[in-house]
Amino acid sequence: MPLARKSVTSSTWTSGSSLINGKYFNGLSSAGIDATLEFGADGLVRVHGGAVPIAVPLAEIKLSERVGNITRRVSFPGGGVFETLDNDAIDHARDALGMRRGASLVHWLESRWPVAIGSLVAVALLSIAFFQWGVPAIASRVAKVVPADVDRALGSGSLDILDNIAFRESQLSFERQKELQSRFFAITQTLDDDHDYRLELRHGGVIGPNAFALPSGIVVMTDELVELAESDEELVAVLAHEIGHVRGRHALRQLLQAAGVSSLAVALLGDVSSISGLLGAAPALLHAKHSRDFEREADLFAKQWLHENGIPESRFDAILCRISGTHGKRTDGYNYFASHPSTSERARCVDETD
Amino acid sequence: MNETLVQDESPTMPEPAPLARIQLPFEFRGNGAEYFRIWIVNLLLTIVTLGIYSAWAKVRRLRYFYGNTVLDGHTFDYHGSPLAILKGRLIVFVAYVAFLLAVQLYPKIAIFVFIPLALFGVPWIVMRSRMFQLRMTSYRNLRFNFLGTYGGAMAAFIGWYVLTIITLCILYPIWVCKRVRYSLDNTAYGSQRFSFLTRNGTYYKFCLITFALSICGYLVFIYQFVKLPGVRELFYPDVPPPTMLEMVMAAGPTGWLMILVAAVVGLGIAGYYQASFANAAFGGTRAGEQYGRSYLRAWPLIGIYVSNLFGIIFTLGLFYPWAKVRQTRYHLSNTLIDSDGNLAAFTATSSAGVDAVGQEVGDFFNVDFGI
Repeated sequence: MPLARKSVTSSTWTSGSSLINGKYFNGLSSAGIDATLEFGADGLVRVHGGAVPIAVPLAEIKLSERVGNITRRVSFPGGGVFETLDNDAIDHARDALGMRRGASLVHWLESRWPVAIGSLVAVALLSIAFFQWGVPAIASRVAKVVPADVDRALGSGSLDILDNIAFRESQLSFERQKELQSRFFAITQTLDDDHDYRLELRHGGVIGPNAFALPSGIVVMTDELVELAESDEELVAVLAHEIGHVRGRHALRQLLQAAGVSSLAVALLGDVSSISGLLGAAPALLHAKHSRDFEREADLFAKQWLHENGIPESRFDAILCRISGTHGKRTDGYNYFASHPSTSERARCVDETD
Repeated sequence: MNETLVQDESPTMPEPAPLARIQLPFEFRGNGAEYFRIWIVNLLLTIVTLGIYSAWAKVRRLRYFYGNTVLDGHTFDYHGSPLAILKGRLIVFVAYVAFLLAVQLYPKIAIFVFIPLALFGVPWIVMRSRMFQLRMTSYRNLRFNFLGTYGGAMAAFIGWYVLTIITLCILYPIWVCKRVRYSLDNTAYGSQRFSFLTRNGTYYKFCLITFALSICGYLVFIYQFVKLPGVRELFYPDVPPPTMLEMVMAAGPTGWLMILVAAVVGLGIAGYYQASFANAAFGGTRAGEQYGRSYLRAWPLIGIYVSNLFGIIFTLGLFYPWAKVRQTRYHLSNTLIDSDGNLAAFTATSSAGVDAVGQEVGDFFNVDFGI
């Protein structure tokens, strides 16, 4: 006979004793018997229906915690289990007899719609706040205690790899290279931090006009960018931006944030294993958002340095607009997946086509 | 003591006979609305406890799904202890962070350390997590058990993997079969060990069909797509080939329709593989006189996956509990036990505890156990 369902169960409540229908399994075999559980007024819990009578003190039985309306287990010493679907009767008896309530509060929360809706709102607000502000703040704190050696080790082989696959030696004249080096030195000598700044010039090839910073303090700039610039002040603006990345330890913070976001996403939503592909996209999305924040920070550093050294900020805007022009119009317009903020947000572009 | 089984649950066997076989269906009794409340409350508790409650949440989730899975009038239950799971998760979390840092800081050393670690570690993780999962599962107050050894896991997961690579994937279907066999052949319910009956040939059949369909579909699609006027114009000599996005933009409505059709066909093939895989696995399982039967079909399975995916995306994840329930219900309602009618005849064996680290390692790194 199938296990007694709630609707057909008859729980009889007499003075101090109750009867609950279910099945009893002795734990030695998978054979079950139709049985009745009785919480006796004398403090004994009995199972009726088996060949051998069972009666144990209340303190020796264990109730499984209630989840939804799944089968409830009443475990007896020696391995026997009484199973019933009459969760309400078990809860009632438990409360009437003053047994430990265990995690019944969780079940109480789980069975109420207002609580569910409230939880939903709270989860949404907390997640947004945490990923927006919590993760970057924690990463920035952690970065402060990580020694600068770590930055040097980070991506130490990156330039070698790029030299092998994309870059060629710079084709700028020796004098021109020296000039750029001294401009670079002019920026870095004013900084009081532990980084060993170094400018590396390369012929970009397929990479085209570009500049980027490695966490070790190396700033790489391509010949194409040098040619694209209309004045050295524009190049200084780009170099200051890249130095801003190193100084802000963005690579390390990026790494810490990525680790934080992905491990937390898995820890929080580990439930969602069947759609882990979607989950994988969430950290990437946040990664891009945090990356844009770093770009803005580096922009700010560059513009501030330009301002302090009497170079108009418009130099920065001009070169940025020209770079984005050579890359096509793709960087314009807001895009949550973009690693950089849109150019129109970062710089006021003057139409240079005439 | 033996209970009498309800014979009228079997449509094919009208008369109870001593050797009559009956079909015992699985049934899922849970519902999305109820699970939604459990899910969201547990998610909130997990967040406010900074992830610590996730171990308790996992136990409640599994108990909800096991406890609503009905076979022959009885439900399953999960007994994993949240503290064991929490301990496992902490170990995994620390190892994961160490791994991330090591790869970034010392990439060369990390490769030398982590590749052997993965080769020897993955089989261990598989073995331990399967053991934990089964020993924490009960049905009619009898526990399941796992008898697989570390050597067996090494052979199935790494040994056959190496052979697959050496033979240029010709042995791939056998590798799949060996992994499933390791999981199922070593499973026991009470003292009854399972056996796995599906032959390599079955795996060859559906792997080859999947492979052939994928290759043909892919070639036909690429050929037709590159022939589209807008796309063809993007290819010039001496110019780097266009990016994926540029090609998609240039393809126009005809091309987009082709992509949609290709996606549907691709999903259908994936569904065929998954359904075949599940049918071969559970459908080849035997426990004494009980035989597993699995009748999943590709298109309904994919219909559920796709609608679930859209549901989850458009509701920003809110649909997840319903999605999970729908998927479970489809799986279970197409799974049954071909039985001699005597599910009451299994007996117990003693079982030792196993810690939860193995399974957590598996969960965390999303290792596919192949089952």
